[in-house]
This record gives sequence, structure tokens and C-alpha cells, in this order.
Amino acid sequence: MRLSALVLTEWRLAWRDAHAIGVLFVMPALFLLIMAFAMSGILRTDLPPPALQVEVPQDSADSRFFLAALAGQLSGSSLQNARTPDVRIVLAADFSERLLDSPHTGPELAFAAASDSLQRTHIRTAVTLALAQTRMAAFLIDSELLDDSLPLEQQLQQVQQQTESRLPEYQILSSGSLAASANAGQLSVPAWLIFGMFFIVLPMSSRLQQEFQSGVLLRMRVMRIPPVLLLAGKLLPYALINLLQFVCLLALGLFALPWLGLPALELHGTPAAYLLLALSITLASCSFGLLVSALARNSEQALLLSAGSNLILAAIGGIMVPKSMMPPAMQQLASLSPMSWSLDAFLTLLVGQGNSTDILPGCLALLLFAAACALTGTLLLHHRLKNTLWTTHN
Amino acid sequence: MLDLQQLGYRYPGSPAPALQDISLHIQPGECIGLLGSNGAGKTTLLSLIAGLIQPQQGSLRWQGHNAIGLVPQSLAFHARLRVSENLQLFADLYRLRGSERQHQLEQAIDAAQLESLLKRTAAQLSGGQQRRLNFALGLLQPAQLYLLDEATVGVDSANRQRMLQAVRSLADNGKAVIYTSHYLPEIEQLADRVLLLSEGRLLLDQRLQEQPAQQFSARWADTIPQALVQLCHDRHWSCSQQGNQLKLELSDPQQLQELLQLLASQPAPVQLDYGPASLEQLYLHSSGGQL
Repeated sequence: MRLSALVLTEWRLAWRDAHAIGVLFVMPALFLLIMAFAMSGILRTDLPPPALQVEVPQDSADSRFFLAALAGQLSGSSLQNARTPDVRIVLAADFSERLLDSPHTGPELAFAAASDSLQRTHIRTAVTLALAQTRMAAFLIDSELLDDSLPLEQQLQQVQQQTESRLPEYQILSSGSLAASANAGQLSVPAWLIFGMFFIVLPMSSRLQQEFQSGVLLRMRVMRIPPVLLLAGKLLPYALINLLQFVCLLALGLFALPWLGLPALELHGTPAAYLLLALSITLASCSFGLLVSALARNSEQALLLSAGSNLILAAIGGIMVPKSMMPPAMQQLASLSPMSWSLDAFLTLLVGQGNSTDILPGCLALLLFAAACALTGTLLLHHRLKNTLWTTHN
Repeated sequence: MLDLQQLGYRYPGSPAPALQDISLHIQPGECIGLLGSNGAGKTTLLSLIAGLIQPQQGSLRWQGHNAIGLVPQSLAFHARLRVSENLQLFADLYRLRGSERQHQLEQAIDAAQLESLLKRTAAQLSGGQQRRLNFALGLLQPAQLYLLDEATVGVDSANRQRMLQAVRSLADNGKAVIYTSHYLPEIEQLADRVLLLSEGRLLLDQRLQEQPAQQFSARWADTIPQALVQLCHDRHWSCSQQGNQLKLELSDPQQLQELLQLLASQPAPVQLDYGPASLEQLYLHSSGGQL
């Protein structure tokens, strides 16, 4: 009866706090959508066809073959002279004469300053492959293994058949850092979901400070309500809110991302795996909230400690910048953040297509963190509750 | 019901004890006014009785249940909950059920005049209304002893009277009440026993009905008759002179008779007052003038 009354009260108070709802639901939802959209430009998997400007000072069968091979590599790109090209490809005047030289110097590539490294790599690879096919064709014709009287398309087709091979590709599931292979949605949804869940620390610690500052806890102490019951009455409603955040923000990733023109999040793994992960993150964030509540001495300190610690854990934990973009030293530092453990476990499901067993190490780390925070927080709060004296000021 | 024997307490790091050598016996049905200047030890005494701290010296023994109804000076409720929700929450925490729950709720709501405010959130109430809610939550608990700390601060006169009546009726129904206030007429109206603390010591423990001192005051047009001053001096009566006014505290009807005999042969005073000393006079007298 007492526990249910405490839980119901805390639940009501949390939902009547517009700022808390903003921090727990609106802020992470906005971050999720904005950052997924923003990162889609960096983490794109389908590059737009580059605009090319190709200069051929001396037309030849070899230069025509090269252009056809290049068009095959850069499907969608026009080899016509673009007005503002991403790259200008200049073939040497003696392109045909020096084609089988060894070592060989290929055409010059002049990149526009605005073209990014991904696009440059893409073009460089296409030119290298087209050049290799052209040299292969020249070698085969010299060796009379390819009939130069055949139409260009047929020659190219034969060379492509001989140069291309199928690469059976597999993913070693749920191992290593998966951030590098995640798309914008797969990174942003779990990252900002975890960030939002850990922000439960803020309303939790603020509420407890308010109760210390008012006479509510004094009244409860005089009533001899056990501290464990008081803390359970606080933890349970916030744990429920955490689980609700998990469901709502995941649903946002599933259904709202396509509205932004982004691929919808695909959930791999069993529901049990997601439940295990959600419970682990919930216990970690609520226990962390308990610890921060115990450490703060007033509402101002609670605000600074909870917001500050969350931002630092997010910054080093790969929430704001994916770990794959961090230098090795920072990646090592990230392993200190429970947000990083949560994100790794999430990516193991979403990207690595893992299952409950695969996320078990991450979940265990979160549960250990939760146990340490809960134990320390409970001891500190118990001590503080025991020392709650008669308050004589409002 | 509650027996305090030579109770003492010193806060860690404090050079002087907050309370020393306090002995009291609190009986059911007593309404006790607890007085004392700031730092006198009232809060420490209340904290000891409420079980918030344990005595370092002496003993504190309860006979029967030690449930305490508390009305602290700070507002002890949830501001974002409605008045009714706050009442229901504490009724649950007090483990009130069935008809007892209904009775306690009705009694508390009536005593604090909260009927029309039940649907409003506590934060929307005025300062005085919030005090009334704080009061109602303390009264809600069925207890043997009620501790009320400055319970009526900021409450308007009509509602204050209603609250004081409710406190009085607690005592009339056999509950013990300890009531602290700096508003002495309130204590005078309510309490049947007064405790005065000063520098951690119990300076005065007196039933107001047994209050022995009577105040005699006379003012003359010119000067106070010398014979009267001489009489006070000879008899070692406690008296004070302010200009042409003489004030005496009389603890014996014999003193009054002797005084009146002498007055008959002296110039008649222009003003004469006689009656029981007020609590304020008693307080000032006992505490050496510190209020």
C-alpha cells in the first residue's frame, strides 16, 4: 500500500513536470531526427554520381576504350564536360604509346576543392579500375587474345568478364566496433535514445533535492518509513519512464526516419534481446541517478552534476561523434562510458545482427555499473536521510 | 505517556550542549506550549522526541504507542499534487483504511477548512492555505502525541482560530500536544502547560492554571508614596518603578491585603490595575527579559 502510493505519487509528479518531459522525450526525439538527417550526409552509402570533365588531347582506340571502361565504373556520371566538375581527368597526348609501360603513369586527376575524401576515393578507384581494364585490353590485343576488330562494347565486355570476379562477402556478426559500418539511422537512433534515457538523472536528482529542502522527507522519517521503501518508490516510476522512452524513441526510428528520406531502422535480433538491453540501460541510468541525487546537496548542484556528467559521458561515449571517427586514444577513453557500452550493445543488434548472447558482455558491464552506483547511492542517501533534522526554514 | 529523564544532547563540533539535564513527563491530554528564543534548544528537543536523533545522555521512554503526528515549520507536502492527492498519499502512508481513513480525512479537512480547495494543486494555494494543508497532513495521522512547530504562521485570524480549536480538541480527546510558537497569545489561549527553554536548559515548566503571580500596578498623579516603596523594600517584594508608576508581582493574597491597608492611608492613585500576569510577563520575567 505504501509502496504503491509512493510510486503513484512519483509517477504523477514526473508527468506534471513539463521540463522533465521535455528533457526525457522531446529533446532526445529532436536530437535523434536532426542528427540522423545531418549525419546522413557524412555516413552515406550511395554516393551521387560525380560530375566529370575529361580531356583527351589525342583520340585513339585506347582512349575510347578507357572512356567506355570509366563510364562502366561510374554509372550515372556523364563523361560530357561538366560546367562545375568534381574532377578533371586529363589523358596524356601519348596515352596509347605509354599504355603498357612499366612503371606506368596514368591520367592526371584534378579534384575540385569542395569534393570530399569519400568522393575522391570513389573516383580514384573508378579511374584505376578503368585504366587497368584498358591496359589489360591492350595486352590481350598485343597477344592476339582479343580481336581488335570487335566493336568496343564487345571488347569491353570480354575484358570485364576476365577482370571481374565475385567476392563472397560475409560479416562476422557482432564483433568489433560496428559504428564504422552503421548508417545514419543505425547510429543516431540508439545514440540519442541512450542519451535521453540517461537524462533521467536530471529529474530524479532534482525531485529528491526538492524533497530534502521541503519537509516531506522529515515527515516521512518521523513516520518511520524505511529508506529502502522510499528509494524504491522513487526508482520504480523512473525505471518505467525509462522503458517508455526506449519504446517511443525506437518507434520514432522505425516510423519517422523514412519521412526524412532516410532508410527506416530495421530491428534485427529477438525481442528478448531488446528487453535485456532496455532493462540493463534502465538499471544503469536510474542507479546513476540515485548516485547523483546522493552526491548533490541542493537543486542547483543536482542540475549541474546531472547535466554535466551526462554530457561528458555522451561526449566520450561516442554519442555525439561516432567512435569510428575518433582517434585510437579517444576510442580507448570511450570504453569508460556506460553510454558507450550501451551503444556497442545496441549496434551489435542493429548492425551486427547479433542476439542476446552477443550483447551479454555489454549488458553485464551495465548491470555491474548499476550495482556499484545503486550500492554507493543507497548508502550515501541512507546516511543523509538518517541525518535529516528538523527543518525550521521554508 | 512520555518520560524524559535528564536528557542531554550536543551536536558534533559544537562547544556547548544543545540540551542538558531536561526532565519532563508528558501525559495524555496535555497541551504544552514550548517557548524559547532562537537557539534555546526547542528544535533539538522536538527532534529527540520525534526520534530523529538519539539522546546522548539520559533517557526517553514511551509508554504505549509512539506514533507522532507532525506539523513541521517547513511545508511538508508535494507542491505539484492536488490538495486531495496529498491527503490521500499521506493517508496511504499512515496506513489508514476504511472508516478510520474516512474519519481522519474528514476531521483534517474540516480543521484546516480545505473543503473548497481539494481540487487545487498545492502550488496554487496562498501561503496561508499551504499552512492549512501542512496542518491537515499532520492531523491526519492517528497519534498519541502531536508536534506542531509554528503551525499557524501566515494564516488569517479566522482560520487560525479554527486551527487552534482543532489542536485544543486533540488534547481534550486525550492526545498530547507540543506546540511551539513565537506568538505568545496563541500559546496562552491554547496551552495548559508551558515549557521555557533557554541555552539548552529547562528554565520553566509550569501549568498556566497554577500560575501564581498576580500583577499589581498603580500610577499616581505626582510621585509614588514613599511609604509604599519602603514597604516593598522591607518585605523584599519584587517591584519596579517607572516614573510615577509602581508594578508589583504578588504571589500571596496576604501581600495584597497588606498593600491595600497601606494604600488606604496614602494619596489615591489615578490608575489601579490588578490581575493575573500575562504569559508575556511570565516569559520575560523567567527568561530575564529575552523574548
